[in-house]
Amino acid sequence: MRRLPVYLLIDTSGSMAGEPIEAVKNGVQVMISSLRQNPQAIETAFLSVITFDTTAKQIIPLTDLVSFQMPDIKASGVTALGDALKLLSTCLDNEVKKTSAESKGDWKPLVFIMTDGIPTDDNWQDGLNEFKKRKVGNTIACAAGHSADPKILKQITENVVSLDTVDSAGVSKFFAWVTASIGVASMKVEDSGKEVGGINELPAPPSELNIVT
Amino acid sequence: MKKSRINDIIAAHISIPNGSVNKPYQAVVDFEKWNMGDVIFSEWKGLADIGLTYNSERKTIEGNPTVSGDHKIQLHFCLEGEPIHVKILNLIINPDPRSLWKDLPSDVNDPYAKPDDATAYALMGDRKLVVSSKRGRSHKNAGTFRDDDFAFYNFDEKGWSLIAVADGAGSSAFSRKGAEIACNATIEYFKQYFAENKEKEIEDAAPDAITAIAKKHMYQAVKYVYGQIKEEAEQHAAANPALFNHKNKTVLEYYHTTLIFALLKRFDFGYLMMTFGVGDCPIVLLKEDEVKLLNRLDVGEFGGGTRFLTQAAIFHSKEIPMESRFNVSIEQDFSYLFLMTDGIYDPKFEVENNLQHLAHWKDFMEDLHGNNEAKAEVDFSQPLNEVAQSLSGWMDFWSPGNHDDRTLAIIY
Repeated sequence: MRRLPVYLLIDTSGSMAGEPIEAVKNGVQVMISSLRQNPQAIETAFLSVITFDTTAKQIIPLTDLVSFQMPDIKASGVTALGDALKLLSTCLDNEVKKTSAESKGDWKPLVFIMTDGIPTDDNWQDGLNEFKKRKVGNTIACAAGHSADPKILKQITENVVSLDTVDSAGVSKFFAWVTASIGVASMKVEDSGKEVGGINELPAPPSELNIVT
Repeated sequence: MKKSRINDIIAAHISIPNGSVNKPYQAVVDFEKWNMGDVIFSEWKGLADIGLTYNSERKTIEGNPTVSGDHKIQLHFCLEGEPIHVKILNLIINPDPRSLWKDLPSDVNDPYAKPDDATAYALMGDRKLVVSSKRGRSHKNAGTFRDDDFAFYNFDEKGWSLIAVADGAGSSAFSRKGAEIACNATIEYFKQYFAENKEKEIEDAAPDAITAIAKKHMYQAVKYVYGQIKEEAEQHAAANPALFNHKNKTVLEYYHTTLIFALLKRFDFGYLMMTFGVGDCPIVLLKEDEVKLLNRLDVGEFGGGTRFLTQAAIFHSKEIPMESRFNVSIEQDFSYLFLMTDGIYDPKFEVENNLQHLAHWKDFMEDLHGNNEAKAEVDFSQPLNEVAQSLSGWMDFWSPGNHDDRTLAIIY
């Protein structure tokens, strides 16, 4: 079966402590519960979570929605976004099945990145360059709050959205949109065998999310 | 001391595996591993409501979950010399994915309505035909139409048999009609063709001239079919301009469909088979120990996009000459002739490449003969109507991620 891999990269640096990180955990929980009710998503979507603070960790390897459980995450340290992109590249190499003459590989992955700060690792661009060599379907980055820099995220992907404040209302809106996007992407691959072409083919973001142009 | 210990236990993050409705569940309860070795009494509450029990002998939570959701399970426990306390654990039970698919009927009053499912059978010369076409779950879930279609005809006095299968493009609004016309117009064309005894030119030709003549004849048929779809598209667009409002889309694109057909007759030298294909539906001849693909496949990922009969460009493509879409072959004998849409081969063969491997066909035949999850069997020794019925039943096989329309025609 062709899986639709979805990677969530979540900033767990110190500034996310308290309401933001609780909102993220809650957002992921609600997202999973909702996707489990979607027949296309429950069959097709596989989810991985990578967190980054002083270092990046893949806390959940690519897992089907049926057995997915959100672990407890805590926020502390700085923002190793470059390290996270490097780790993501390795995970994409190891986890996403390529198409061959004998079998169909996975669908192109969706990547969602959420950060409330700017990269603190000196050579974060090394990670960026690694990631740029990988083939993904869509990458969407969310600059959460005013300390995040949409211009930096624009280097990672064309598709950048921003949230004015990192509170539970804003974060839950972002995850509701991620949920809808995964729903649309899984429906598209299952029903018409096509992948989502760009942010324009995803559901329109709610008004709380500003599209950064 | 005890108080903070109790709070630690209550706050600890403990995960128990997720379950699924109607799937046997078993989760090991290991207090040592959970760092709760000092608990002297425990009792689970809330399990029975969701179809589970605690097995104290095996120390497992087990059963067949009945209710999906994020359940809060209570663990009542006490430490030595302390009253009972309650720890809440989260237990996720997934719905049975099959229960999530809706089965909404399509609109019977639509001008382009078609039956959600169709199954038929017929004698084809000295062979038999069973064919079934079923609306995919993705269409059922949305209450939309089946886009696949088929048609067949047996020209008794002439000894020729014809079967056509088409798959309307999911992204084209009226592709179901395109597919229907593609099949029916193929039959119409050859009815006229045989009425005018045009087949004589093939039958009377010298052996080395047959292929060229047959290809020319099929070309005329395909041109006719294209014209029929175009005519319908133009008429419908003229009468309902609002339905054709895409700026960059020609009216024909609303009817995008693939088409395959096979025309065959038995002679004393063997079966003469004439086939045509545009798009990604295969025509496959299966013999005792050989498998032969009788048409060229236009395959998306490797060949740069599938093609449709409704694209005028296919008629004068340099890259894929029209001539290469026709095939003429003489076969001493064969076991089965298959025509199918991608709704069948995607789940059963995965990639087009595998359609040419005998080993995959052996598996496929075993599958047809009942070696499958649903134990659905097609027994070709049964009366024709029963074979058709069992084929229709077999076509309902479950395959996660594969919910396209399915059409399968078998001549045997």
